[in-house]
Amino acid sequence: MLRTLVYLDADLASSIALRYACQLTQVIDMKLHTVHVEEPDNDGYAPGTGWVRRTWENTMLKTGELEIAQLINAEKSSCPKLGAPKMLIGDREKEILREIQRESYDLFIEGSLHSFSAKKFYDKIHSRLYRLISCPVIVVKNLVNIDKIALIVRDEIESKKLVSIFLKIFKGAKFKLDLIYCEFQEPGKLAFKGKKEANGTLNAVEEFLMEKQWHPEDCRTIQGSPEEIGDVLRDYGLVVSPLHHSISKKSYWFQLLSHIPSPILICWQ
Amino acid sequence: MRILVAVDQHPYSAHVVKDVAKLAGNTWADVTLLGIGPKMTNIDSPSNKSGEKNPLSKTLQNYRRSFLKHFEKEESPYEKRTCKHEFIEVKRGIWEELYVCRGARKDLKIVLRSGNPVKEILAQSHEDDSDLIVMGCDKDGDCQWKGTVNLPQKIANNAACSVLIIKEEKKIRKIACCLDQENISQKSIEMINQMVTLYQTELEIVGLTDGSTLKPLVEKNLDAILKYYKARQIKSWIKLVDTTSLELFISQEARRSMMALWMGGQSILTKMFPRGKVDKLIQGSKSSVLLLR
Repeated sequence: MLRTLVYLDADLASSIALRYACQLTQVIDMKLHTVHVEEPDNDGYAPGTGWVRRTWENTMLKTGELEIAQLINAEKSSCPKLGAPKMLIGDREKEILREIQRESYDLFIEGSLHSFSAKKFYDKIHSRLYRLISCPVIVVKNLVNIDKIALIVRDEIESKKLVSIFLKIFKGAKFKLDLIYCEFQEPGKLAFKGKKEANGTLNAVEEFLMEKQWHPEDCRTIQGSPEEIGDVLRDYGLVVSPLHHSISKKSYWFQLLSHIPSPILICWQ
Repeated sequence: MRILVAVDQHPYSAHVVKDVAKLAGNTWADVTLLGIGPKMTNIDSPSNKSGEKNPLSKTLQNYRRSFLKHFEKEESPYEKRTCKHEFIEVKRGIWEELYVCRGARKDLKIVLRSGNPVKEILAQSHEDDSDLIVMGCDKDGDCQWKGTVNLPQKIANNAACSVLIIKEEKKIRKIACCLDQENISQKSIEMINQMVTLYQTELEIVGLTDGSTLKPLVEKNLDAILKYYKARQIKSWIKLVDTTSLELFISQEARRSMMALWMGGQSILTKMFPRGKVDKLIQGSKSSVLLLR
C-alpha cells in the first residue's frame, strides 16, 4: 500500500489538495496521512522556555488543530478513511522533510493554486523542501476528475526513471493513459503529430510501458509554445512530468509546467 | 430575466439573434428585439426612391422568425394565444366546458425605434428594466456597428445593466471570469452559469491576489463559487492573478477566452478598468465580452 502524506493548511489550496487526494484513494491502493505545521512567528522562535513555551505551543496547536479538523471533517463523507492530522510546530519545510524521512512516505501531495505569474511555482520548485525531498510530489493546482493521465516524456534515459516512478504509484490502477512528447516553437502554430509519426523516444517508452501491461491509448507529439501545450494538457486529470532541481526559469520545460492548470506529478531526476 | 437584443441589418446581428434564442431557451427570459433606424415619421411610407418599405422592419420580422425557429411550437414559451373549449373544474367534483384562451408564457417584443442609436438602446433598456443588453459587432476590425462609431463600447460603458458583446461566430472554448471577490452576487454567478451552458464551455475563475496571497474572505468566496459550479457539473478552474498584472492577464486571455468582468458599483474592477480600458478590451478581444452589473 502506498503511503502518502498530504500537507494541510486551513486554506483553499489545501482543501482542493485533500479532495483530490481522496479521489486518488478510490483508484489507487493508498493510505492517506495528513500533516499540518504551525509556524511559531516571523522570526521562527517560540517565546520563553519551560512551561511558558509548552503552554504557548499547546495553545497554538489547538487553534491550528481546530481549523484543520474542520477541513478534514468536510471531506470525511467522501473519504471515510481519513484519520486525525499530525500537528507539528516549527519551520514548515524542515518539519515536513523530517516527517517524510521519519515515516518513509512514498508520495507527498500539497495544494498550490494555479497562478498567472510563474514566480510562485518557480519558488516552490526551488524551495528547500523540494530540493531535499526524497519522494515524488503531486502539486494540486486545481480540482479535476482523474479519468485520464498524460505522461510527458523528454528523452529515453530520463523516461525510464519517470515510468518506473509512475508504475510504482499506479500499480494495479486502471486509467486512460496518453504519452506526450513536446516540441516547443513560436506561438500561433499549434500542431499535433499522431502515433504513426511518433519519434524514437515515444516508441521506446510505449514499448517499456506495454511490457509492464500498461497500454497507452494515444502517443502523440504536440508542437507549440509552452502556453499552448499547457492549455492542451488541461484535458488531463494528472500530468506526470520529469523534473531536474536545477531547471531554469526561462526554460521551455519550466514554462510548460507553470502553464499547466491540472495537477502535476513531479518525478525528480 | 429580461433581455434586450439590439440589432441592425448586418450578419453579426443575425448571429446574435441565434445565440439569444439559445440563451432564452435555457432561461425562459422575456426578450425585446430592438432595431434602430434613421429618423422617420411613418413606418409604412417608402424609405427610398425605389418605393420599398422600411427595410429594418422586414429584417426585424425575419429575426423574430429566426428566434422562434429555435423552439418547438408546442413547447415554446413565446407561442401566441390559443383558444379552445376545455373542461375546467369549477367546484370540487364539478367540471364545466369553458372557452379558454391561454397566452404566451413569456414576452417576445419586436420594437423599432428611430434616432440616435446609443440613446435609443439605453432608453429601451431603461423602459424595459432589462437585466442584460446583447449586441453583436463586426468580426473584422475593432468591434464596430456599421454606420455608428464605437456603439458597442458606448453601450458597454453607459448601460445600467449587464452587457454582452458577441463576436461573430467565434468558437468560445473557455470563459475567464473576474468576479468582485468580496461582494459576489448570486445574480452574477447565475449569469455566468447561463453563459457556460449556452456555449458549452469551461470556466476559469480568477482570484485576485495582493502579492502572492488571497485575502481570507476572497478565498472563502472562491471556494463557495467553485463548489457551486462543480455541483452543476461545470468544469471549473481557478487561476490566481496579482492585481498589478490584471491588465496584462486580461489582454492576453481575451485572445482566446470570453471575458466576463463584474463591473458593479462596488467592484474593484470598475476602479481598475475605467472607460478607456473597457473600450480597448472590447475592441481588442478576439472573443465575446460580458460585463456584469
